[in-house]
Amino acid sequence: MVEILIKKEACRGCQICAEICPTDVLEYNAAEQKVFVKNAADCIACLSCTYICPSSAISQQDFHNVKNFYRDLEFSVKAKRYL
Amino acid sequence: MTTDIQDARKKLQQAMNIAPAISCGIEELLGRSANGMTFVAGRKLGKQMTASAKKTTDVEEALAETRRVLEEHHCLWHFEPFIPSTQKEMVKQTEKGAEIMLVFRDCMIRQSLFRYGHHQKGSLCFMMYGFFSGALENIMGKKTELQIVHTGENACLKKLIIGS
Repeated sequence: MVEILIKKEACRGCQICAEICPTDVLEYNAAEQKVFVKNAADCIACLSCTYICPSSAISQQDFHNVKNFYRDLEFSVKAKRYL
Repeated sequence: MTTDIQDARKKLQQAMNIAPAISCGIEELLGRSANGMTFVAGRKLGKQMTASAKKTTDVEEALAETRRVLEEHHCLWHFEPFIPSTQKEMVKQTEKGAEIMLVFRDCMIRQSLFRYGHHQKGSLCFMMYGFFSGALENIMGKKTELQIVHTGENACLKKLIIGS
């Protein structure tokens, strides 16, 4: 199962992640003004929440990372990322 | 060896630019009609590729057969059924027919769109809709739809509707 980690200190409570999630995994807690993981079992690991979060507060673990053939290999080597 | 892989990757990436470039062009020219055009192209491809596929009326078997056909043709289209926690069965019966949620992970269309820098949920995604429609129509003998629910960076969620 996908593990979703939310850095509470970084979350600004903008709720964009909760809105974009197609399976309603995330929910907004009005009292805390933060987003929390309501139902991790339904996460499909599309990573839309991770990519859209303006404060990079969300990350995932234990998911199938797709083969990214589109990335430029030379750039990836230089950046030491995406290899 | 590394150079061979790098060369192969570069050639693949050059080829990956072609389909989204065409898609981008026809969307500009035809607007929303481009989706219909690519749908028909995908449907034809789906029918061609499954011409000798095993016929079945069972949904799970039909999906397995589609997967087998794709692998046989070296197509990178990794999909799996998704059962929401609010649902017990994989197949949900509705007025429209049998509904199944599918998650698409490794997808050659997404890869090509990202390489070229074109948005998702456009005419190329409709080609995939057409492909599944044609393939499952051949295998199951029923009209099918593949609605795009969500397009993500690492996976997409789609709803497959098999007409009753």
